[in-house]
Amino acid sequence: MTAYDYYSIVHAALATISISLLSILLGVPLGLGLALIRWSRVPVLNEIAIVYVSILRTCPSVTLALLLFFALPEIGISLEPVPAGILTLALGTSAFDAEIWRSALTNFPRDQYDAALSLGMRRFTRFRRVMLPQIVRSSLPALVNEMTLLIKASPAVAVLGIVEITRAAIRIGARTYQPLPPFIFALVIYSLIVFAFVRAQRAVERRYALAGAPA
Amino acid sequence: MNEFAVVWQHRDMIVTGFENTLIIVALGATGALVLGALLAVPLMARQRAIRAAATAYVDAMRCVPFLLFVYLIYYGLPSLGLRFDNWSTGIAALVLYNSAYMGELLRAAWADMPHEQIEAGYAFGFSGLQLFRRIILPPVLLSALPLIGNQLIQIVKDSAFLTIIAVAELTHEATAMQTTYFVPFASFIAAVALYWVTCIGIEGTVGYLNRFAEERR
Amino acid sequence: MHAMAEKASPMPMVEPIAQPVVLDVNGVSKSFGANTVLRDISFKVHRSETVCLLGPSGSGKSTLLRCINWLEEPDGGTVLLGGRRIGVRPGTNLRMTDRDLAAIRTRIGMVFQHFALWPHMTVLQNVMEAPVHVLKRDKREVRKEAEALLRRVGLADKMDSFPARLSGGQKQRVGIARSLAMKPDLILFDEPTSSLDPELVGEVLTVMQDLAREGLTMVVVTHEMSFARDVASRVVFMDKGQIVETGNPDQFFRTPQTERARQFLARYAARDR
Repeated sequence: MTAYDYYSIVHAALATISISLLSILLGVPLGLGLALIRWSRVPVLNEIAIVYVSILRTCPSVTLALLLFFALPEIGISLEPVPAGILTLALGTSAFDAEIWRSALTNFPRDQYDAALSLGMRRFTRFRRVMLPQIVRSSLPALVNEMTLLIKASPAVAVLGIVEITRAAIRIGARTYQPLPPFIFALVIYSLIVFAFVRAQRAVERRYALAGAPA
Repeated sequence: MNEFAVVWQHRDMIVTGFENTLIIVALGATGALVLGALLAVPLMARQRAIRAAATAYVDAMRCVPFLLFVYLIYYGLPSLGLRFDNWSTGIAALVLYNSAYMGELLRAAWADMPHEQIEAGYAFGFSGLQLFRRIILPPVLLSALPLIGNQLIQIVKDSAFLTIIAVAELTHEATAMQTTYFVPFASFIAAVALYWVTCIGIEGTVGYLNRFAEERR
Repeated sequence: MHAMAEKASPMPMVEPIAQPVVLDVNGVSKSFGANTVLRDISFKVHRSETVCLLGPSGSGKSTLLRCINWLEEPDGGTVLLGGRRIGVRPGTNLRMTDRDLAAIRTRIGMVFQHFALWPHMTVLQNVMEAPVHVLKRDKREVRKEAEALLRRVGLADKMDSFPARLSGGQKQRVGIARSLAMKPDLILFDEPTSSLDPELVGEVLTVMQDLAREGLTMVVVTHEMSFARDVASRVVFMDKGQIVETGNPDQFFRTPQTERARQFLARYAARDR
């Protein structure tokens, strides 16, 4: 492997990271929205949310990517590979995130909510200042776990031609006829990314833990 | 709607792909569960070195993206002299990869077992393989049932990655149908529907078995 | 699990004991880290005796019991079952193999505080399991005996139930039947009624009393003073890891010889009042 090869894998890593981050930024709030719909039992939307989560939870990332990229143009939505890849990962993670958020919502102590109500807080304020910080805190470990799973599923977008880490490694291997070194390097890069996520999680947990000790 | 008619007309492709997916999942899951049960033993070993080695294997598998692992076996091993065809690679990858997850979840269920139950096994003269097979393993499997179900669903989803090494499973056949008959929407929707049905079937079976398991906890 | 690598050869059989001294504990000591739990424990148990180990919590009674069948490994001293040394290979200082240890354990029954029934088997299967799979006895014979034992402890109608559906008292009676099915030379009882609701204690103690009367050799760790007083042939009082006093129950309960025994009994008398 030449220096350029290492560089191209690192470059691909940037693609992996940015695609993953954008997917997370889309998927996590989407999951929260779905969870809130389920939690407040909005009619019709509740059922749609249940079906959505059920289907997306069980759909392989590769198949979803192919579906979004090749099938959406038929109903008028034509996506480039990278947006399609981001959408794939975002939708996939949103289903799992919805379940994580929903669990935190149902475990939220009812009396805190009632206390805010009795103080005359309006609905949105109630949610923002009382519930949200706490459900974020309790969901965080599971959410970060899901993020690491997303990173490990990100090679699925290679099927759309996106040059992320795995694809870059394969290219180099195909050229040099020595596939092992780039694969091992790719492995190392993935591990570093996952490791970075886990560390970030612990740091955030610590910060929240100090701020949010039960009164 | 035209599209779905075409897909139905050529449904053999999708059906074959679906059958292959089921075969791959069945073999992969069985292998992963058996290997995982064997792995649980060193994961629970008292000797630090043995436990560390097994834990290293589990951590390694949990670090690697599955597709990269498949490539490692398919493209990487030949440079060491080991060449596998795409089916063998796929099933081997599923088994090895998921055995780590199965092993870990079985280990957790084992560690959660009330200690006295196992002690009673020793006290009555059980030891070694017999103790493991008759006293430890059955309750562990029963208590880990929901998590085993989840892992099975993961195996179904991972099987789709094998399309990239040209294994004729469901996603691969849906893609082939799409490129041959220009019916992307219908073919991929059909594939997604079949994955969904499979996973719901797994969840239903686990739910049913869970009632059987409840009594025995 | 080193033993898993061993070939499946028939288990070394241990013959039932003929000697009058069933159990000989000599100089047993045990520490957990810096904590010395047993110091130089010595006593003997004769055939058909019912020995009750009494003492405050933390006195080491349960640890001692578990050292007898080597569930805990003593740091020093010896334990002999009918003259055979447990836990250590004869003539050496080396630990016994798992198989030999398993073989000797088939001669010692154990009833656990939290019952320790195997939840994935029915009551009848629990009782039959060890005789069939460890002793390799004929299944039909074992079944007949198991059914008889369950009838004897009053659980004839629960044979095909799973332990999850049983009350604590019922579970413990199954535990006793399970031990009896092995026809052991000695049964160890580790606080058999401590986990039971008060109204269920009686049914278990009654079974134990019957067994004692029939001549079963028993070592019982218990807090049930009335049982010790009425059923035990000998009482061993322990405190802080040592045997403080032994004697027959009449002697011990009416005229305790040591101050610690007196304090212990006073506390219990106050509670019973």
